[in-house]
Amino acid sequence: MAKIIIPFPFRRYTDSLREVSVETNTLADCIEALIARYPGMNSIQDHPALLSIFINGKQTKEEWNAVSLTHEDEVSLIVPIAGG
Amino acid sequence: MTQLSQIDRIVLPQSGWDEIVSHCRRKLAGEFLPGESEIRRAYGILAGLQENGEIKIDYVLPVKKNARAVEPLKTYMDTVMEKYAKPSKTPMGQRGWITDPLELKECYEVCDQKDLQIFGTYHMHIVAWEGDPLRDMPTVLDTVLAKNSNLFTFIIAMVDESNPSIKAFYEGKSEQEVPVVIEPV
Repeated sequence: MAKIIIPFPFRRYTDSLREVSVETNTLADCIEALIARYPGMNSIQDHPALLSIFINGKQTKEEWNAVSLTHEDEVSLIVPIAGG
Repeated sequence: MTQLSQIDRIVLPQSGWDEIVSHCRRKLAGEFLPGESEIRRAYGILAGLQENGEIKIDYVLPVKKNARAVEPLKTYMDTVMEKYAKPSKTPMGQRGWITDPLELKECYEVCDQKDLQIFGTYHMHIVAWEGDPLRDMPTVLDTVLAKNSNLFTFIIAMVDESNPSIKAFYEGKSEQEVPVVIEPV
């Protein structure tokens, strides 16, 4: 079970949960499982260029399928906030 | 719990307001902290607690870094700004701001540790526009960038630096303004 930390603005889609655990082998599976459970989380992909993913505190820029996860891993999803 | 879109009022303690204004004035004066992007814009995150239809801001987090020039965020911002930003003499690359993902992650972690909820971001408007001398309303660009954010956009009007004001708009929509009450300590 990898642990996903849900960013504040998206917790409206996860019943206000701060973190969600999912059975997963790769980062791609992890995101897919999250969205399957909470369909509103699909909006993290509205602007793919904006989504940053941190695994155990380190940002990854690898293809999601190429990133293996274990039950001890913590995945943080961050969508930057912008203004004019 | 009341949805943020249904909030009736926002309470900002005087100390928090002083901190925001101080941040804005410092950046306007061109005084920068170590590790801070050297730009004359101030923006930050406001967090606190919600009780029914009221929000109380308990925590002001001035944001230090601007990732405006970092790809792929730069391309995204350039595209949005070319489409929605009002023409200006300021070069496009120097307009707009976007948080550094790592700094934002750390902000979220601090708020989680303090059991606070993030309610929105603030940024300042400093130049009067024709027909808009106060600049206390969100721009079209502000609204576009806040779309679906489920956050408030707090506009700090600093055209008259000696008499700043603050207004809050859910997702940067001018028609969804919520009164901000500055509470004396």
